[in-house]
Amino acid sequence: MKQLMEMVFQAEFVASVIRITAPILFAALGAVIAEKAGLTNMGLEGMMMIAALFGTLTSYWTQSWAVGVLCALLVGMLLSLMVGFFSLKLKTDIILAGIAVNMLGGGGTIFLLYMFTGMRGNTGSLVSQNILIPTLEIPLIKDIPVLGEILSGHSLLTYLAFLFVFLLWVLLYKTPLGLNIRAVGENNHAAESVGIKVRRIQYIALAFSGALAGLGGAFMSMYYSQGWNSGMVAGRGFIALAAQAMGRGEPVGTLLSSLLFGLAQALRTKASALPDISTYLVSVIPYVATVLGLVFYAAATVRRVKKARRPKEEAEEK
Amino acid sequence: MNNKSMKDRRLQVFEILRGAAAITLALAVATVFIFLCSDEPFTALKYLLIGPIVKDNGGFNTSSFYTILAAMIPTIFTGLATCVMFSAGQFNLASEGCVMAGGFVGALCGIYIHMNTGLHAVVCVVIAAALCGLIMLVPAILKVKLGASEMVMSLMMNYIIMYVVLHFLNNTFADRSKGSTQTYPFDETAKIPSLVPGGSKLTWGFVVALVFVVIVALFMYRTKWGYTIRMIGINKAFSEYSGMNVGGVIVLSQIIGGVLAGMGGSIEVLGRFNTFLWKELPGYGWAGVTIAILAKNNPIFVPFAAFFIAYLNKGCMLMSTHSDVPSEMIDIIQAAIFLFFAAEQFLAGYRQKLVVRSAQADLAKTETAEGGKA
Amino acid sequence: MPQSEYVVQMKGINKVYPNGIAANRGVDFNVRRGEIHALMGENGAGKSTLMKMLFGLEQPTSGEIIVNGETVNLTSPTVAISKGIGMVHQHFMLVPSLTVAENIVLGMAPKKGGLFMDMESAVKLTEEYAEKYNLHVDPKAKVMDIPVGMKQKVEILKALVRGAKILILDEPTAVLTTQETAELFRELINLKEQGYTIIFISHKLNEIKQITDRLTIMRAGKSMGVYETASITKEEISRLMVGRDVILTVEKEKAQPTDTVLSVKDLEYTNEWNKKMLDKVSFSVRKGEILGIAGVEGNGQRELVDMLFNLNRPDAGSVKVNGKDIVGVSQRNIRSLGVSLIPEDRMTYGIAATASIEENLISDRVGAKRFNKGPLFDMKAIHKECDDLIRDFKVLCKSGQQKVGMLSGGNIQKVVVAREFSCDPVLIIADQPTRGIDVGATEFIRKKLVELSRAGAAVLLVSADLNEVMELSDSLIVMCGGKIAAYFEDTAMLTDEIMGEYMLGLKRQSDEEIGRVCHE
Repeated sequence: MKQLMEMVFQAEFVASVIRITAPILFAALGAVIAEKAGLTNMGLEGMMMIAALFGTLTSYWTQSWAVGVLCALLVGMLLSLMVGFFSLKLKTDIILAGIAVNMLGGGGTIFLLYMFTGMRGNTGSLVSQNILIPTLEIPLIKDIPVLGEILSGHSLLTYLAFLFVFLLWVLLYKTPLGLNIRAVGENNHAAESVGIKVRRIQYIALAFSGALAGLGGAFMSMYYSQGWNSGMVAGRGFIALAAQAMGRGEPVGTLLSSLLFGLAQALRTKASALPDISTYLVSVIPYVATVLGLVFYAAATVRRVKKARRPKEEAEEK
Repeated sequence: MNNKSMKDRRLQVFEILRGAAAITLALAVATVFIFLCSDEPFTALKYLLIGPIVKDNGGFNTSSFYTILAAMIPTIFTGLATCVMFSAGQFNLASEGCVMAGGFVGALCGIYIHMNTGLHAVVCVVIAAALCGLIMLVPAILKVKLGASEMVMSLMMNYIIMYVVLHFLNNTFADRSKGSTQTYPFDETAKIPSLVPGGSKLTWGFVVALVFVVIVALFMYRTKWGYTIRMIGINKAFSEYSGMNVGGVIVLSQIIGGVLAGMGGSIEVLGRFNTFLWKELPGYGWAGVTIAILAKNNPIFVPFAAFFIAYLNKGCMLMSTHSDVPSEMIDIIQAAIFLFFAAEQFLAGYRQKLVVRSAQADLAKTETAEGGKA
Repeated sequence: MPQSEYVVQMKGINKVYPNGIAANRGVDFNVRRGEIHALMGENGAGKSTLMKMLFGLEQPTSGEIIVNGETVNLTSPTVAISKGIGMVHQHFMLVPSLTVAENIVLGMAPKKGGLFMDMESAVKLTEEYAEKYNLHVDPKAKVMDIPVGMKQKVEILKALVRGAKILILDEPTAVLTTQETAELFRELINLKEQGYTIIFISHKLNEIKQITDRLTIMRAGKSMGVYETASITKEEISRLMVGRDVILTVEKEKAQPTDTVLSVKDLEYTNEWNKKMLDKVSFSVRKGEILGIAGVEGNGQRELVDMLFNLNRPDAGSVKVNGKDIVGVSQRNIRSLGVSLIPEDRMTYGIAATASIEENLISDRVGAKRFNKGPLFDMKAIHKECDDLIRDFKVLCKSGQQKVGMLSGGNIQKVVVAREFSCDPVLIIADQPTRGIDVGATEFIRKKLVELSRAGAAVLLVSADLNEVMELSDSLIVMCGGKIAAYFEDTAMLTDEIMGEYMLGLKRQSDEEIGRVCHE
C-alpha cells in the first residue's frame, strides 16, 4: 500500500492519468454532443477502432501523421453519418445501428487491415517514430519542477482533447449552432416551430460526435499503443457513454468523470506492477466506479423529482 | 373477408421478402469485398456459401454440419435471453458477461462438487443459471427503482464480470501445472455427453437448447408472464392501466435473460472443454443480439437465426483456410444484415404501395359487392 | 376602404381531413386591424382547425385567406410568420433548459464575430421588447424555473420579436391562475393600444366580455355569426355556442338506482403549474344509474378520472368504491373491486397497437382461472371468449389474431369497450367513450352503456358531447372551473340553454342543491 501511495504522488503518475484520460475524453465528448441532440451514439467503440486503423494506415501511406489524424477524423465522421442515415432515415433503432458499427470495429477492422496490407491482427512493422503523433514540450512550463513533468511533453492530441472540453462548451453554449443542437435534443417540436431543420442539426451533431471518436481512435493507434492492434480500444467507447451519463451530459462534468476513469486506469497499471495485488481486481475499478456513479446520479435524479412536488404543497399552505 | 386475409398474407410475404432482401444485400456487400481483396474470389465465395455443408468431392459434409449445430448451442441460449429482454423493452446487454460467469461457475461446480453421472451436469448448469439470474437483478432493480439505464449498466457489468472471473481463475482456481492459465479439469460426471459419435462437439446441450426454444416460446406466447412481458414491451402505460405488475415483470424478464445466458455458458463450457480456459468475453452475448434481431424477438425463429449465423461463421472460417480472405469477413456481413434487418423503413415505400393497393382493391370489391346487391 | 378595415379575411373556408371529417364548412372569418377578436365555440366546433390554417399548420380544402389585402398561400408557419402572423399554442413550444432570451432568439440568434452567439444583444433585445410591450420577463432565467404566466409572456415575446402584428392566442387562460389572467389582460390591452391585432380563442364568457371588441362564434364547423361584444349578452352567446343541431333520443327505461357504489368526497388537486384543477369535488354514483359529467373540456374532468383510477393522486379527499378507499391503490386492485375504465386516450392506455385483438381483449384477465391450465394458457378458452366478444361487440375484423392497430378507430374502441364491459363491472367509468368514432360504433356503445346500467352497473359518463351526456345520463353534474356547478337529478327537463349557462360559468347552484348528489 505504501508503495502504491508513493507511486501515486509522483509527477509521472499524474502525467499518466492525463495521457490515459485523453482517448476516453475524446469519445465521451462525442457522446455528449450526440446526446445533446437527443441521440445515443452506441457506436463510439467501433468508430474508434475503425478510425484508429485508417489513421495508422494513411499515415503510413503518406508518411505524415497529420494526414493520418485527419483521415481518422473523417472516417469517424462518415461512420457516424452512416449511423445517422440508418437511424434517422431508415428508422433502425439508433442503439442497434451503433451495435452494428461496433461489429465492424471488432472483426471488420481485422479484415480491412488484411485486405489493405495482408497483415493480421496488428500493424506492428508499419509504424515508425516519424509517423506517430509528436509530443510537445511547452516552453517555460517544462522547466518548472513537478508541474513541468506533469503538463509538458504530452502528445499534441492530448492537449487537443482537453482543449476540446472548452471548445465543445463554447460550441454548445456560445454559438447559434449549439443553441439549435440543445433545442433539438430537448424539444424538437419547439425547434421545428421556429424553422430549425431538426434532421440536419441531428446529422451535424452526429458528425461532430464521430469526428471526436475518430480523434480518440487516432490517439490510440498513433500515439498510445504506437500502432494498431485488434484489442486496442478495449471498451473505451462504452466507458465514454458511461462518462457522459455520469457527467450529466455536460462537457465539464464529463471531463471530471473521464478523469476519474483515467485515474482508475492509471491506478490499475501501477497496482498491477505491485506484488500481492490482483491485477484483475484492480482492473475492475473503473467499471465499478461507473456503476456507482450512475447509481448515485440516478438516485439523485429520483430525489430531485420528488422534491419538485414539494414547492407546490408549500404554496398551498400559504 | 377473403380479401382481407389475402392482404394480410401479402404483407407477410412482403416481410419475408424484405428479410431476404436484407440478407442478399449483405451478401452482395460481402461479395464486393471479396472481389476487392482476393486473388481467388470464386474459391473464396464457394467456401463461404456452400463450403460448410458440401465436401470438396461434392458430398454432404456431415462432420462440418455437426460443427455448425454445435456452434449454435450457446448462441441459441443468448438469442433466447435477448429475445425475452428485448421483448420487455429492456436493452440489457449483459448476457455477454453472464455467459462467461455461467461457464466459470459451471466449471467450478464440475471440479469441486462430486456427484453421479447424469445429475452432476444438471446441478452444475442449474447453479450457474441461478447465479446469473441473481447477477441480472442488479441492472433490473436499478432500472425499476431508480430509472438507471440498464444498457450502460449492463455494458459495465460485462467488464466487471470478466475481470472478477479472471481474478478467481488466476489467483484461486488455476492449475499451476499447466502452461496456460486454466482450471483443473472437471469430473467426467459433469461433462455434457456427445450426441453423435466422433470428435464433433455436438453434445446433448443442443437438444437441451432446442427444448428451451420450445419452453421459452411457450413461456412467451402461452403463459400470462410471457404475455405480460410482451405487452409491457409494446405499451407500458397500457399494461399498467390493465392492472399488470409492470415493475415486477421488468425485473423478471431480466432474471430470465440471466438464467438463459448462464445456462448457455455452462453448457458450452461443460460440453466443449475439459477445463475452464476463457481469457476474455466469448462474444456469444453479442451474437445473441444479432440472432434476436434476425428472429424478430420470436423464440421459435431463434434456432434458424442461430443456424444462419453459425453457417456463415463456418463459411468464413473455411474461406480463410482455403483462400486468402480472412475469417473476420463475418463481422462485415453480420453488421450489414443487422443494419438492414432492423431498418423499419427499409423498402418501406414498397410496403406503403402494397398497403394502398390492397386498400384500393378492397374498396373496389366492396363497391362491386354493394352494386351487385343493389 | 375595406382593405384597411380588415387585417385578416378568411372566405368560404372548407376543411375536410383525410379521414373524411369536415372540420370547417364554409366559414367566413374577418378580423379588424387593432381589435381583440374572440373566437368561441365548444370543443370540436372547428375553431382550432381554422386557426391552424391561419398559422400555416394546415391547408384549407377550399377557400381564400387574405392578409393585409393580399391573398396568401400559407404553406407553413414560416410563411405565416413572414406575413406577420404569430401564434401562442396552448402547449408551450419552449425548451425548458434554455434561458428566456435563448428561447426568444431560437432559430434567429444574433451573431458576433461571424460564429458566436451574441448573448448580450439577445438579452438586450429581450429587455427592449419586454419594456416596450410591458411584458416583464427575466431574460437570463431558465424557462424551467419560471412560472407558467411568465412562460406565456415568453411565447408572446417570441412572436413579437419575429415581427408578428397579428397574434393568435389559443386558450391562453386555460393554464393561468386568476392573478396571472388579470396580468395577461392588461398586457393584451396594452398591445392592442400599440396597434396589434389579437385573436383570442376561449370559451370563458366573463373573459370575453372583459377584453374583446368583437367575437365570432363557431358551432359544428360553421360560423354562427360575428357580433360586437358590447351588444350581445352572455346568455345569447351561451345559446349560440352550446346547442345541438340534431337532438338525439335514446330510449331507456327509467333508472331505479339503489346502493351507492362510487363515492367521492372533497377531492382536491392542484396541478404542477399551481392551478387548482379540482376544488372540493364530491358526488356519488349508485347502482343502476348513469351519472353524467358535462362541462367544457379542461374544467377538471380529466384530472377527476385520473384520480378514480389511480393514474394520479389527489392532494386531499377520498375515493371509495363500495366503501373501500382506492386512493393510491394499484390498478390491479382497483379492477379487482369491479371498476372498469374506458380511457379518453385510447391509443395510449386503451390498447397495445401492435398486439393482436385477442391479446388486447384479455389484458385485464390473463390471470383468470378459466384461462390458465397449470402454468400454461388454455388457448381454447381464450379463443372462445375472444371470439364471443368479437361477435357480441361486432368488432369488424378478419380474426382475433389481427393486429388491433390495423383496425379503424371505431373498431379499436369496440375492442376496448368489449374488454371493459365484459369483466362484470360494478362501476364503469366511460371517459369520452365515443369521441372520433363512426356513427355505427357510437350508437352501439351508447346502447351497451344503457343496457349495463339497467342490468345493475353504476356508470359514470364523462363526455364533452352535449347530446351524449344529456340523453344517456339519468342524472347529471356540470363541472366548471374545477368545481361542480350544478346537479340535475332528472335530465328529462333540461334544455341546451340551461346547460350552457352552467357550463360557461354564468350560473352556479347553491351548495345545498349540489350536495344532493351525494347519496349515502
